[in-house]
Amino acid sequence: MEKELDKVVEEIMLTPKVTGCIFADHQGLCLAAKGTAHVDSAGILVAISEQACKLQPNLKPPTIYLESDDKMCLIQRHGTITGGIFKHKE
Amino acid sequence: MVDDLRKYLNHLIEKVNGLHCILITDREGVPVVRSVTEKAPQLALRPNFISTFGMATDQASKLGLGRNKTIISMYSSYQVIQMNKLPLVITFIGSDNCNTGHILALESQIEPYLQDLGTIVAEAHKDM
Repeated sequence: MEKELDKVVEEIMLTPKVTGCIFADHQGLCLAAKGTAHVDSAGILVAISEQACKLQPNLKPPTIYLESDDKMCLIQRHGTITGGIFKHKE
Repeated sequence: MVDDLRKYLNHLIEKVNGLHCILITDREGVPVVRSVTEKAPQLALRPNFISTFGMATDQASKLGLGRNKTIISMYSSYQVIQMNKLPLVITFIGSDNCNTGHILALESQIEPYLQDLGTIVAEAHKDM
């Protein structure tokens, strides 16, 4: 059932500097997680995306970019699915 | 100690949209600490509702999948998430569209406080 999603996850993981990726549904339940992305972060990922959507409710959901010293995280919502990609900066 | 924990639970409720209450009870449903908003359904706060989890988790543990940790019950307008931390039970009640994953992630934040409470409740049951 989740073959297509697994394929997408594999593709993302092959991208250079990507260390992990995670997908969650609108209830914050994890659909797929690989690499450094932890299953438990699915709910928080969706909560962050929900809060960011409130900034401009009439526009399409924004891409959120979280940055630390050596890592970064991109969060993007598409319909009911929220995806998160963890990357090394350098 | 209990007052600090209640304050902390109040703080957690504010962090999750649509979360109405967090209850820490023993397995009979007797409240140890509770943090409740006015939106929480009163019937779901009663010990006879919460204590059914004790039986359900025992039965679910017999399915051959290992010890049951969490039961999520989705209703038409509420969701109830109960966690097995025997001798304690944690119950979260939220709206049906509340972020279930976020509530599940609260487990790790509450867990450090449960050690002492669990010991106290276990001792109290021993004396009964």
